[in-house]
Amino acid sequence: MGQGKSQFTEDELQDYQDLTYFTKKEVLYAHQKFKSLAPEKVGHNKNAKLPMSKLLQFPELSVNPFGERICKVFSSSQDGDCTFEDFLDMMSVFCENAPKPVKAEHAFRIFDFDGDDMLGISDLKQIINRLTNDNKLNDSEMSMLIQNILAEADLDDDNALSFAEFEHIIDRSPDFLSSFRIRL
Amino acid sequence: MSGGGNRKKNTRSQGWEDAGSDFYQESYPLDPEFEVLQKDPKHLHTLLPSKQTRAAVATIRMRTNDYRSNKSTVRRHTASRSRSRRDSTVHRRTSTIGGDVQLSMLPDLSEMKTNEESAWEEVMRLKELPIPMSQKKEMKNKIMNEPNLRLQGYENFKWKRRKLWSYMETRVRESLRKIELWKGSLRHIEGNFGTGVVAFFLFVKWLFFLNCGISFCIFLYLTLPSILLNYEKGFNCTDSDLACICADSYFNSSQTENNIVLEVIQGTGFLERTLLFYGFYTNTVLSYTVGSVEMYYNIPLAYILVMLACYFISMVMILRSAAKGFNERLVESEGQFYLYCNLVFGGWDFCIDNEKAARTKHRAIYNEIKAALETEKLTEERQGRTRKEQYKIFLGRLVVNILVIVILIGCGIVIYYTFDFSTKQIEQHSTQEIETNEKMLQLLYEFLPSMIIVSMNIIVPFTFRFLISFEKYTPIVEIRFTLIRTVFLRLASLVVLYASLLARITCHDPNDYTCTPCKDSPECWETFVGQQIFKLLVFDFGMHVILTFIVNFVRSLLAKHLNNKFFEFIGEQTFDLSKHALDVVYTQTLCWFGMFYAPLLSFLAAVMFFFLFYIKKFNCVINCKPSPMIYRASRSHSMFMVVLLVSYLFAFLPIAYSIYELMPSKSCGPFSGEKTVWSLMVDLFMSWPEWIQKCVFYLSTPGFVIPFFIVLVLLLYYYSAINSANRHMVVVLKNQLVLEGHDKQFLLDRLSLFIKQENQKRARAEQMRDRDRDRDSDSRNT
Repeated sequence: MGQGKSQFTEDELQDYQDLTYFTKKEVLYAHQKFKSLAPEKVGHNKNAKLPMSKLLQFPELSVNPFGERICKVFSSSQDGDCTFEDFLDMMSVFCENAPKPVKAEHAFRIFDFDGDDMLGISDLKQIINRLTNDNKLNDSEMSMLIQNILAEADLDDDNALSFAEFEHIIDRSPDFLSSFRIRL
Repeated sequence: MSGGGNRKKNTRSQGWEDAGSDFYQESYPLDPEFEVLQKDPKHLHTLLPSKQTRAAVATIRMRTNDYRSNKSTVRRHTASRSRSRRDSTVHRRTSTIGGDVQLSMLPDLSEMKTNEESAWEEVMRLKELPIPMSQKKEMKNKIMNEPNLRLQGYENFKWKRRKLWSYMETRVRESLRKIELWKGSLRHIEGNFGTGVVAFFLFVKWLFFLNCGISFCIFLYLTLPSILLNYEKGFNCTDSDLACICADSYFNSSQTENNIVLEVIQGTGFLERTLLFYGFYTNTVLSYTVGSVEMYYNIPLAYILVMLACYFISMVMILRSAAKGFNERLVESEGQFYLYCNLVFGGWDFCIDNEKAARTKHRAIYNEIKAALETEKLTEERQGRTRKEQYKIFLGRLVVNILVIVILIGCGIVIYYTFDFSTKQIEQHSTQEIETNEKMLQLLYEFLPSMIIVSMNIIVPFTFRFLISFEKYTPIVEIRFTLIRTVFLRLASLVVLYASLLARITCHDPNDYTCTPCKDSPECWETFVGQQIFKLLVFDFGMHVILTFIVNFVRSLLAKHLNNKFFEFIGEQTFDLSKHALDVVYTQTLCWFGMFYAPLLSFLAAVMFFFLFYIKKFNCVINCKPSPMIYRASRSHSMFMVVLLVSYLFAFLPIAYSIYELMPSKSCGPFSGEKTVWSLMVDLFMSWPEWIQKCVFYLSTPGFVIPFFIVLVLLLYYYSAINSANRHMVVVLKNQLVLEGHDKQFLLDRLSLFIKQENQKRARAEQMRDRDRDRDSDSRNT
């Protein structure tokens, strides 16, 4: 801990505490985790930018079907490479204390693969394919599933889920809060 | 308007089409997307207000909120904060427009009048914005460097206090995080088995803390005073005091010396006369002096009040924890539950952290999706079932249900007779001199009922699981039915145990002049009941240990190391959540039931839950493979709570009955000499001032109860009417939304068509112009 502490000033820590859902100790702990991904880089520069491939070695991200997407959404340069601050943003959203709307907002962006601010059919297909991984659903099952999803949630019948509709789903989904979480 | 446009206009011949497009350009002067729009009219829908970044809306709301909250009180502050938390879901544009638009959409801070408090609130709210940290920092600096109004006087004090609170809160949170129990274990399980299984372990943890709290209460108010103030037990009885004489004979009757280990696990011998059991507590009012004032501590009163308080606390805790779950169930039953959306958007556990678990999870999600789709097909099929098939299924279910009932009744009978048999055997043996080899036999008889009950709890559920396959339910219903039946089995065995205990301790012709109510009942029946429960609890715990560390462990080893189909069949186990939850709930039920007769049983239960956590963890992590089924955290949690609530009733109702109806034994315990335990409360009530008594009596007269009841019914009716109206409204609004959506689609199509035509017209006009110009130049040339 002592070594980690020396890399931050008290003001910086206060900033991080104010701007994330973490306490100072947790920020330091997060930095340790970040450092363990690439000790040689972060040792010199506490805010070094790590490439996405390094970041994907973080255990929870490495097996997550949306790992790349998460990195891209949180990366400030939008190419998946993250600085420590980006990483902290990410962990703050995934931590227990982050409220539902914040989580929903980011979940929506993670799921919105083509970036058109709507979860269209292609987005849904991509999500499902990533979820089932090797076990692919056949075409009729896939289309049936997407039809069902749209029937449940697409209120205005435009064959895509807007953020408002998505937020509505999340409000009704009891498990979202517990599943959309990474313990530091 | 751009300069290029101007120049063009001068050179062009002026058609109304150009004017139209110029107008359009004028009204959206710097719109970068307009260019795109001209090329591709389909792009139009991205310009709709609802599709624009949600930031614009959010900022406006945020600002108005601030304006309001500047004027209002602290309470309003928090209210508006929580509201704006919902609203301020600002979206970070990842598309072409990028950073500058973003900043322009965030609140323009210079306009606002700020004081220290609102500035601080502003900073606290920054964490909700989905923008990178560097921008957040920038904004924070901006806010902090603003000239703030200083707060004065009381406002300042309030603000300081608030800041201190939040500081303390983070401190407490930090230190709590550090001492959090089982953090690593929970994380490990979560990473490997997902949130559903972790919900079970959190449940065990919750029960552990519940029992800690209860045992702390009991220890503080009951055990500690008894230890400190209860110095020696002297019996100087007068002839008329029957309770005292009986107690004397009870405490001075010689105990047969026995093996100390056996005594501990049976709760007999020296253990019988310790603080663990009801019999040890006295019926006296203890007195002590503080300084020169003499104080009294009424043990019987403390006993019953503490017990009732503990039952009450348990109930409140269950209800509190269950409330969330019930809410969700309601949503589910109203058909507003998004099954498929939940599966897809909430399906992945982001906490999963290793390859193997991820693979299982992928597989599980795939299975679940398939199952859901198949269920849908099945329901369609069911509608197409012929009458003959329907009869067949109905008959099958009828037969299975009858079988289940027969099994349940059979279990009850077996338990009853075993209990009867074993008590008779024990009495026969206790009258004779015990020899060493008969000691084991006696022990066997002692534990026979517990053994029968526990082994039934293990064997019969298997039968149920086998039987249910004949009933052709959908998988979810199947699980639910098996669970309900198993719960009934466990509770039924408990009920039979109660009945046989009751039969032992009551007689038809109570003889008032002996210490025991019947000639063959134990001297102190409360302690006897406590011992029975104690034995059951210990035996049950022992079975958990044996099953987990020996039987199941060996099975899993066999399955892992011998590549043999047969061994794999025997050895492979998945973590069956409902079964393990039942184990835990059963332990808790026993604890609740026995608590009244053995106060420190709750402490024992807390210790057991502490170890059960590790036992179950071992079972889950080492013995079991991840289950191919998805357990949902919310669903399993609500299931645990419902089962726990039912068990609570089964434990508490007999206790309530015994408090109200049964005569406490004369020779021991805090209530010896009373007619019932409750009569103590009645006496106490009678000693209260008269006006309180009158009030309470008035509350029970028809003059009060009937109007009260009517008001309740009216309220109920009122709320149900509101509820149905709301539900109707939801349907209407939904329909309206769909219509609006269609309208929008229609208008968009029209508009894009219009723009397309416009473009074509302009193109044609330009062509014409070019041709004209060509012709002009041609004619000039000629």
